[in-house]
Amino acid sequence: MDLLLQLLVNGFINGCHYALLGVGFGLIFATTQVVHFAYGPIYALTAYIAWYTATALGAPLWLAVLIAAAAAAVIGPVTYLGVYRPFQRRQSSDLVILIASLGLLIVIENLIGILFGAGSRVIEGVNFSVFLWGPVVFTGVHVWQVASLAVIGGALFLFLRYTRFGKAILAMTDNPEMARIVGIDTRRVSIAVFAIGSAVAAAPAVLVLLKDSATPHMGFHAVFMAFVAVVIGGIGSLRGAVLGGMLLGLAEGVGLWGIPTEWQSSIAFIVLFVVILLRPQGLLGQRT
Amino acid sequence: MDYILYILIMMSLYAILATSFNLLIGYGGLFALSHAAFYAFGAYATAILTTQLGWPFPLPMIAGIAFSAGVGALVALPALRVSGVYLVIVTLALQIIVVQVLNNGGTLTGGTDGITGVPALGIGSLVLDSPGAFLPVAAAFAAVCFWVAYRLAHSPFGRSLRAMRENESAAQAAGKNLVYMKLVVFAFAAGLAAVAGSLFAHYFQYVGPQSFTIEETIYILAMVIIGGTGNLWGSVAGAFLLVILPELLNFLALPSEVADKARLLIYGLLLIVILRFRPQGLFGEKASTGHVLAGEDQAVEPGVTLATLQDDAATVVGRALHKSFGGVVAVADFDIELHSGRVTGLIGPNGAGKTTAFNMLTGFLKPDRGTIEFNGRDVTGLKPHRIVHEGMARSFQDLRLFRRMTVLENVLVSLPRQSGDRVWAVYLRPGLIRREERDNIARAMGVLQFVGLADKANELAEDLSYAEEKLLVIARLLATGAEVLLFDEPLSGLDPNTLQALLPTIRKLAEHGKTVCIIEHNLDVIKGVCDVVFFLDEGHAMAVGTPEELMSDPELAARYFK
Repeated sequence: MDLLLQLLVNGFINGCHYALLGVGFGLIFATTQVVHFAYGPIYALTAYIAWYTATALGAPLWLAVLIAAAAAAVIGPVTYLGVYRPFQRRQSSDLVILIASLGLLIVIENLIGILFGAGSRVIEGVNFSVFLWGPVVFTGVHVWQVASLAVIGGALFLFLRYTRFGKAILAMTDNPEMARIVGIDTRRVSIAVFAIGSAVAAAPAVLVLLKDSATPHMGFHAVFMAFVAVVIGGIGSLRGAVLGGMLLGLAEGVGLWGIPTEWQSSIAFIVLFVVILLRPQGLLGQRT
Repeated sequence: MDYILYILIMMSLYAILATSFNLLIGYGGLFALSHAAFYAFGAYATAILTTQLGWPFPLPMIAGIAFSAGVGALVALPALRVSGVYLVIVTLALQIIVVQVLNNGGTLTGGTDGITGVPALGIGSLVLDSPGAFLPVAAAFAAVCFWVAYRLAHSPFGRSLRAMRENESAAQAAGKNLVYMKLVVFAFAAGLAAVAGSLFAHYFQYVGPQSFTIEETIYILAMVIIGGTGNLWGSVAGAFLLVILPELLNFLALPSEVADKARLLIYGLLLIVILRFRPQGLFGEKASTGHVLAGEDQAVEPGVTLATLQDDAATVVGRALHKSFGGVVAVADFDIELHSGRVTGLIGPNGAGKTTAFNMLTGFLKPDRGTIEFNGRDVTGLKPHRIVHEGMARSFQDLRLFRRMTVLENVLVSLPRQSGDRVWAVYLRPGLIRREERDNIARAMGVLQFVGLADKANELAEDLSYAEEKLLVIARLLATGAEVLLFDEPLSGLDPNTLQALLPTIRKLAEHGKTVCIIEHNLDVIKGVCDVVFFLDEGHAMAVGTPEELMSDPELAARYFK
């Protein structure tokens, strides 16, 4: 019973991590229709930038996080303007853009490898307090992972719901054609969405760097889980992305009760297959 | 020297992988990112069966092909339900699971270490353990695989595949069985990839999970895209290019770990650049069959088979049809009869349920209640392609042309009863298919002449003017040879001259014994061609009668005719 409780807490913490990744990816996907595979390596690059500013430049951790997030907020829109937008302007099919984003994934991932080397990078000397909560153990990083979802997710929700610009984003998510007709500058909104979506991923990136390490290949798993979370939750629904990510984390966590560790990541796929089979539009998605 | 042989062998393997992947994505339009998994099945089947059971060549290869093709057919099942990004994510997941199984497979797969000691390819006492001896075998297998893929791609089946890629529902409306086509193309692509895998195992005498990751799938994808989707020669060129290009890096004195990443970086960049500036790839898609020279004197037969006028029994009878979508009733208790030799009109305001009625009659929607009989047979709930085979075909209001296919191909796809749509015939009855194809081209040209598009036969459908597109829609429907023809707004948006020219065509179809039903808003058209008109509103048939009767009804006049 104690074990199950611990697995549930671990699952919830990982779920928060996936949920935040899913929110950033899902926001970009829902608004611009770009399946942004390069989201993964940009997330990895963000972790490396934080590592570099914190170690080589000796910046304090909070500053490193801010610089990493700012860098992501620049790199994201650059990929949009440099790669995706030219395709959209030419009205290339979504799949063409998807292939281009796979190409970009390969390019950035290997660029990281060339710039920072293939090994993993860690920040030494950061210690987190350990909390004991009955039989359950967790650390300060875990608390941050949960808190980052609450704070960033909450802020994003308020921004989208209550600001003029946020409403413009939601309008475009709903119907890009109509958004253009009513005078929303869809180019500006797309740029903003790429900036916000990429910056959102900076928090989980740095937390993984602190918890484990940064590796050049960490991005693929991240974008894949974000993608799965979005599909499970329902494309176009940010609440769905949170729900999907949470479900993935919990399923993976609780799955360990009966399944050996090395098969853990297969659990996510089983959830994916079941959802697509039973409810292809996703849990909170609308049937088209 | 061995180095050059190595490159040539890798070219052979990747030529197989790229051409087979192209069948799936370029021809079938099925974006399944699991090709490296099929590659792995072939490699591991050979490695396991040779090292653990001592099977002699070619049995492990055959087993690998069978296993891979079987799994491929299984992957086709989700592809029946989902498409686009959903298929991408499902197959991506499959790809990752397969690598995980290889990594965790214990003694069977050798885990992360893989399987060493796979015997070199050998038949009896002849062992091909040098690159020089292996190359001819690899090249020969590549040639055979290319032939298998080419044959399929350039058959009527391949043409139907491209039609499915362009528009699934229109392919169904042309009588194509999507389930069969997806199963076949997945099985072929997977089976061929397994051949490359088996060769890989024999050549390196080792297999390991790191050779079959998602990166490998993207690598093969890049070859297909760079070479050109829908062109198998392009895939061979793409494979050659992406095998050679990175090797050139060896001449730069880069540290080895950088060189490896630079290789990947280059192909990633190349992929983006090609998509951006030459999206059709190095080799564009070509019309695969039925290329006729414009102006060539074709022996033209009348495009429409003439039937004798039947007695007045109804050919199609719909009874109490009902359909609602999430509580919104689209069609309610709708009775309809279509008679041969008559043109029946369906009119009514937008959202009245006219197209829904068509969708039910032709199997695109299953009615919630009610029955549909066709020549006395119950056809309720049959799949669309089956209903086309029975002899009832339809067109779509939004055209749904096969845009990146020629005008002639659009019509050829729609011709009924093609032996070349069956895979066994593609390989076993080439003579029959060639003869049929010759006749079919003549028939298709006849249909095109009938609608006045013969001089556009070799143009791509996407290059036609709007009026020509509408004509092609009619031609495609006529080509099905169906007894019952359902037209969904065939004439809307046409200029008056074209319209006047086409009206007699539709009348003529009925006079030749066809059963014609037409959705139309233009009252002149209705008066001009229809014998009977059903007026629909809010899913009900409000009135039935001759056009004159309906138009003189004061209530309808107020609500609709104005």
